[in-house]
Amino acid sequence: MPTVELSKVSVIFGKVVAVDEVDLRIHDGEYVTILGPSGCGKTTLIRAIAGILEPTRGEVFIGGKNMKDVPIEERDIGYVFQNIALFPNMNVANNVGYGPRVHEKGIEEQVEIARKYLELVKLLDKMQMFPSELCGGEQQKVSLARALATGAKLLLLDEPLSALDARVRVDLRYELRRLVKRLGLTTVHVTHDQEEAMSVSDRIVVMRAGGIVETGTPAQLYTRPLDIFTANFVGETNLFEGWVTHCQDCKSAIELRDGTIMNVVTCDFAEGEAVVVSVRPEFVFPFTEGMRTRITQTIYMGNYWRIIGIAASEDPVEFDVPVAEGKLYHEGQEVYLMVNPKAAVVYQRPREGIAEAVKLE
Amino acid sequence: MPSVRLEKVEKRYDDIRAAEDLNLEVRDGEYLCLLGPTGAGKTTALRLICGLTDLDSGKVFIGGKDVTDLEPERRGTALLSQTYSLFPQLTVAENILFGPDIRDLPEEQRRRTLANMLDLVRLTKRPDAFPGELSGGMSQRTALARALASGAEVLLFDEPLRALDARLRISLRHELRSLAKSLKITVIHVTHDQDEALVMADRIALIRNGHVLQIGEPSQVYDNPVSPFVANFVGQSNFVTGRIIEKGEKTVVRTESGMTVFARQCAMEMGEQVVVGVKIGNTEIAREGDSFFEGIVERVLFEGRNLHVDLLVEGTIHFSAKIPSWRLGKLASGDKVMIRWSAEKASVFPMPEKGLREELKVE
Repeated sequence: MPTVELSKVSVIFGKVVAVDEVDLRIHDGEYVTILGPSGCGKTTLIRAIAGILEPTRGEVFIGGKNMKDVPIEERDIGYVFQNIALFPNMNVANNVGYGPRVHEKGIEEQVEIARKYLELVKLLDKMQMFPSELCGGEQQKVSLARALATGAKLLLLDEPLSALDARVRVDLRYELRRLVKRLGLTTVHVTHDQEEAMSVSDRIVVMRAGGIVETGTPAQLYTRPLDIFTANFVGETNLFEGWVTHCQDCKSAIELRDGTIMNVVTCDFAEGEAVVVSVRPEFVFPFTEGMRTRITQTIYMGNYWRIIGIAASEDPVEFDVPVAEGKLYHEGQEVYLMVNPKAAVVYQRPREGIAEAVKLE
Repeated sequence: MPSVRLEKVEKRYDDIRAAEDLNLEVRDGEYLCLLGPTGAGKTTALRLICGLTDLDSGKVFIGGKDVTDLEPERRGTALLSQTYSLFPQLTVAENILFGPDIRDLPEEQRRRTLANMLDLVRLTKRPDAFPGELSGGMSQRTALARALASGAEVLLFDEPLRALDARLRISLRHELRSLAKSLKITVIHVTHDQDEALVMADRIALIRNGHVLQIGEPSQVYDNPVSPFVANFVGQSNFVTGRIIEKGEKTVVRTESGMTVFARQCAMEMGEQVVVGVKIGNTEIAREGDSFFEGIVERVLFEGRNLHVDLLVEGTIHFSAKIPSWRLGKLASGDKVMIRWSAEKASVFPMPEKGLREELKVE
């Protein structure tokens, strides 16, 4: 399967720099997701890989070959769009057999190929139906089968699940990864949904304002994000403002705005530095001392209770407690909270302020 | 603020039943989420309440008053659509003041209403912007301000967060709910997203085929589902089918292949064919110890706070489990694990008439 390499790719529309000097290498058989908020340039980037648009500057390589002046149809890619784009006047089998037909395969071979890919997406029994007779999830599976039936070795997915219901989306993302891995395809998947990105990808590329913020495995980005934007974007997190008051053997004490001391494990900051500590809600827990916090809301999440409050330092706090302990907390109550020192990630205080650094739109 | 009640409402479009014996009671000042898959009749229910769709039979009450034959503009309701329907050629301020009741007010009062609304939805700096210049979140807040400025006391939200990015959607859940709560308005919020409903609702009404299947607080709907469909739609569930072989404080069910599982107490009879459902988050997997049966790990997916584990039981039954992510690296594809759950976490349902597969369909 092909590798994909982007070398200093920029795409400029008039005065707008949609993609700004992006370098990226995608390995043979890797499932990479490009994740970012609306307008970050992720769709433009995948279109540049597909050849739907030419980069203003920089180069795209697929399988080591420079794609300059290579038209879409010669790039050996399968492309699935957010808006399901099946031919409404063709039945499922003909939709899937369309690629092979364009490639001038015989009618028997077309049917055989269509059968093979429909079996893979578990829709063999719907071969004779028309797109309008299928539900959204099924239609998108047919789109996928059609993209694969061209014999593509590189699969490009542009928000393939965004138009579907939440519940269908969750089922389909496991299905998608299973399928792609079984065929060993190299896949680039664009999405704004961080949960989707985490559950399908080998590696996630976080984009913002036309550039790459960072790349990493889902576990790396969730547990050790390098950038504060990622910390907030990939999963929910608490952000506490403070100053380093003490640092020895990677054990640091951070003083919050109300004077409370929070202990964290980090070697990266010197005494006196202004920092932000990021701690996920599952690593904040009630204790006999720590951050004094007033609870404002309790929410049942099924597997746990999410408790929301305001700390004395004025930082908003969210923490999770087991289902059996949920009834111990109520609005207006004061509690003391500690954080797991090893699960805390510390960042230099952004010059533009926290709100601006993690802004979602 | 008024309560809302639908009584035996029926609505048909040719052979599609959009509302069938639809009964719903929303309390004064309540935040109710109407949750269901596409085509369940959620939007139809909203349109019936505000009068944009005529019903075939039944009654609609708002604030205890029968409004079935009342014109939409006199019901005191405002419908906020998925796409916000702002006028692109009008500014934020003009959009907010567009409502018929406001247009005729004296200038001074209009100015005050506008200032209040802009302040409420944090748009004081953008009154002169056009919708095309706003972000998704801002457009949504403008539409909300317009609905509130019209003096509506019942707000009908049709998937208000759908058009927004996933991460932004999570951030805006609290904001939207707090706003509604601070104004004490009655809200009916339509969504297909069960997480959104769990987080935002005072009560959830689960709707399918134009009919309310279950209504209750999020914890009731999650922990005591009335059917396999509800069990699976609100937090995914695993299912086992079999016959009841023992009854008492817990129910013992034996599958056709001879596996034995426990579930909570139930009203069904000995020997009856049943479905046992357990949430994937309550499905425990362990290397050893007591268990109901064994499974083979098919894959482990990292999802942040949890790992999603897919399992294969007896070579044919698909099971899943959600376990804390600190167990990452301790499980791998091909591993043999023991599967179990506490009896009180599993529900027992009568075998659905059309079979389990049909019952669980989400679209």
